[in-house]
Amino acid sequence: MYYISITKEDWHRSLEKLLTSHDIFVPVKDEFSLDYEPFRLSQAENIAYNTPKPATPLKNFFLPVRENVTSVMSNGRQRIIIGAPNCDIEALKLLDEIYLDEAFTDPFYRNRRKSTLLVSSDCFSVNDHCHCTSYGVKPYTTEGADIALLSEGDYLFLRIISDKGEELIRQLSSAAGVNDPERLRFADQRHSETEALLAELNRGLPDYRATGEIVRKAGDNVWVKYASKCVSCGACTTICPTCSCFLLIDKPGFEKVKQMDACQYPGFERVAGGEDALFELPHRFRNRYMCKYVWRPQKFNSLACTGCGRCIEACLGRISKNELFMELT
Amino acid sequence: MASDNYNIYEPLRATLEEVIEESTLIKTFVLIPDEEFVFKTGQFIELAVDGVGEAPFTPSSSPLVSDRLEVTVMKTGYVTGIMHELKPGAVMGIRGPYGRGYPVSEFRGKEVLILGGGCGLAPIRSLLFTLEHMKDELEKVILCYGSKTPADCIYKPLFTRLNSIDKFEAYRTVDVTDDDWDGPVGVATALLDQVKVNIENSVAVVCGPPIMMKFGTIRLLEMGYRDEQIYLSMEKNMSCGLGKCGHCMMGEFFVCKDGPVFTYREIKHNPEIWK
Repeated sequence: MYYISITKEDWHRSLEKLLTSHDIFVPVKDEFSLDYEPFRLSQAENIAYNTPKPATPLKNFFLPVRENVTSVMSNGRQRIIIGAPNCDIEALKLLDEIYLDEAFTDPFYRNRRKSTLLVSSDCFSVNDHCHCTSYGVKPYTTEGADIALLSEGDYLFLRIISDKGEELIRQLSSAAGVNDPERLRFADQRHSETEALLAELNRGLPDYRATGEIVRKAGDNVWVKYASKCVSCGACTTICPTCSCFLLIDKPGFEKVKQMDACQYPGFERVAGGEDALFELPHRFRNRYMCKYVWRPQKFNSLACTGCGRCIEACLGRISKNELFMELT
Repeated sequence: MASDNYNIYEPLRATLEEVIEESTLIKTFVLIPDEEFVFKTGQFIELAVDGVGEAPFTPSSSPLVSDRLEVTVMKTGYVTGIMHELKPGAVMGIRGPYGRGYPVSEFRGKEVLILGGGCGLAPIRSLLFTLEHMKDELEKVILCYGSKTPADCIYKPLFTRLNSIDKFEAYRTVDVTDDDWDGPVGVATALLDQVKVNIENSVAVVCGPPIMMKFGTIRLLEMGYRDEQIYLSMEKNMSCGLGKCGHCMMGEFFVCKDGPVFTYREIKHNPEIWK
């Protein structure tokens, strides 16, 4: 890993040139939210670097809400996605384990991963429900993306993580290596400041392993209590960067449409005979917690919750999983 | 499978050659796949009715035959309801085979006790074809099967045939009798009381409705079978078959990929297996 620096102006001009061969997405902040928008040079001043966190989880770029999976796969244009926070980058690891599984590789997911260059964005501040560090996730990226980006004054510092990232940098004529370590001191400072903010914000939250244990041991009364405010809307799973369950829908001509689905919706586990292990709402509610903190950790190497906190922000019933954990701790 | 062009979601076409009525609710669909179709006994397929939907079934035919496939289907829900209306000549879709079947090589030198109920005899028939093929390497094969009524029993000629094969024994019971039935009445599990089996050198296979799986397992444990000697064929809502869609999660397992055949030892820690 090494750093290069470039002025924001040159960076944005370079992106403009890359638009001939790439689709480029950047995090844009308006008065309501921060989310990915297609890059336009004229809007460059509205790009919010190093700010947590785009409303849309990164997974949506790789797992569309609905797609025909028997259609001819287009090779697609190359994509550059700029501004994903590390919680989202970390979440891709679980999606990779599931969708790039050697026995059954999802070709649509694989092609999108291959054609996408990820420029993550170190977090220089925190949102109300950010708690990545509780799960051992740093608020900055050192793996899993191709480049990580830090903004300082008129400059951007780019941490080159992968070969693919290095290839992109070669195309930036005005990028310069950073030889003076003094120029990078701000990076360490920013990282520690953000980590300190997260520690303060999440004092008392259990870490990931402990969370699994308390979820497994939790009595029915807790699930009944919290589920009483749940309306099975599925917002928590829709917005979750690691939730990736889907339904295959048949269309005439043996076409199959893959549509994102969630265990929070009634009927998710219902079988033809009518049995439904998740018929009761508290069972469905508990299922999501068991999946993320007990079952996925038993089966996969990657985290099934990276502490982005979006599920807390999205919940119509204002259910906070962190409050639930604190109650159980 | 590793090819860049291989699409895991694309079904293979198969032509429906014959429909056999096994009982009022159960039919066997004889399919001729467009390409050779190889599976291991106990693995399952996703069988699709064009434009309607697909559902998981374990083929009931011999895995030694690759140009012809039989799938026995109980009319249970929406897709199977429409499937039951199909006539020979219809083109269906097949994805698979998926999952982990019966580890038959581990059955060598052993007595195999099979407990089946209702439509659970479908996968068992495929297993029986396999076991018949390897009978010289087995000590004994015992089938205990129960159906609701005598009319609900599928593959009736199978029982006569099995009893004529050296080392094979087959027993039938019914929950509710009728005038023509002079055999045992009661649940399939009760048949276990009359079989002679050397439990120490035996494996047990259970396949049937959830209630029978549960009480069958409990009875086998009482008889002295150890957890790892009992093979259960689990049923869940298996939508993709690929270990991705999440519908068939049973604790940490994707039943479609890690199963559908599990030893009781592998899954007994999960209190939700009988749901």
